[in-house]
Amino acid sequence: MTTTDDLLDRLSADGAATTGKPRLVFGGWLLGAALLCAAGVSLLLSEAFYSVELYGTGPMVVKWGFSLSLILFCVIALRTLGKPGRRGSLFLALLALPFAPIVALLGLELSTIGPMMDGPTWPRCLLAMAIMSPIGFAGAVLAVRSMAPTRLHSAGLVAGMFGGALAMTAYAPFCPELGMSFMTLYYCLPILLMAGIGWMFGPRLLRW
Amino acid sequence: MSSTGDALDQLMAAARAGDSAAYRHFLAEAAQRIRARLARKMGGDSELEDLVQECLIAVHDKRHTLDPGRPVAPWMYAIANYKLIDHWRKRGRSPIELDDEADMAVAADTMAATDIEALLEQLPEAQAQAIRLTHIEGLTNREAGERLGVGVSAMKLRVHRGMNRLKELVDEQEQ
Repeated sequence: MTTTDDLLDRLSADGAATTGKPRLVFGGWLLGAALLCAAGVSLLLSEAFYSVELYGTGPMVVKWGFSLSLILFCVIALRTLGKPGRRGSLFLALLALPFAPIVALLGLELSTIGPMMDGPTWPRCLLAMAIMSPIGFAGAVLAVRSMAPTRLHSAGLVAGMFGGALAMTAYAPFCPELGMSFMTLYYCLPILLMAGIGWMFGPRLLRW
Repeated sequence: MSSTGDALDQLMAAARAGDSAAYRHFLAEAAQRIRARLARKMGGDSELEDLVQECLIAVHDKRHTLDPGRPVAPWMYAIANYKLIDHWRKRGRSPIELDDEADMAVAADTMAATDIEALLEQLPEAQAQAIRLTHIEGLTNREAGERLGVGVSAMKLRVHRGMNRLKELVDEQEQ
């Protein structure tokens, strides 16, 4: 009997039924990262919903509308990219969708009142993004590693984007800044930067 | 069950329904198709069978990523392609033909008068470790790979490169 035949016997003894709870593992890593970020914000910031107290829910709809939809599309894309043989291009293209209204609002702001880029809390925004994005990124990497990604650059890019979007979701309720230019500079660009980092390190981090 | 008439789809559906013999047949059929696909791309590579086995293990370990009702073939070939690319990447895309038999068949007294340990210290640690495990401790490439947590292909490559370097070092000393 050849070694391959031995291997076939050994593998088939396990059966074809899926062991464990792969969906729970995938979701667990993402949820774990989200909870970690949420816990961090609630522990460190006394008024996590400071911007809502100041301006009501309007600005939050824009910020969370963007970041939550980006998270949703990232999760869908990660699930798809984690399954070999599935075309993920459509889902990758969908990731651009949440950016469209932001670009439109930014264009409106620039053409009417000019760039609203200044804001005293920008160092804290950047710090929050810098601390929490890697947590979300790590959660996404572990989640997608529990599957079988074969397009590692793309999966890394989405994992990075997820990390950035998660960090924004956690911190945005506190952020009292309103300008779209501010949001683009201190939220969208860091998210894209994380996506670039994910694209770069995807093949190293996601190999299986 | 999948709507396609592919035997792989039918075997996987039966296997998932609890038919263990069908799963054995599925894996055997998968092995055959993967071997044929890889052979076309790799030619007469000495590592073909190792790679087929790696693919089978991956197909088995990652079977939860195949959605019920989805055709098996595109999923399986995507895994095989991924493993092949990973294999080439580990080999640095070099056209090295690994000759395991030549690497392992160094006569016991070939380097009897040589301070092997001193020579090994001149090699990169990964290669030296690979040679210690396979040629001094007598482990197979697979056993050594399992101990170091690397694949058989990577292990063979380390041994191959290490042995080549060792031969060069011995030649340099003799000159």
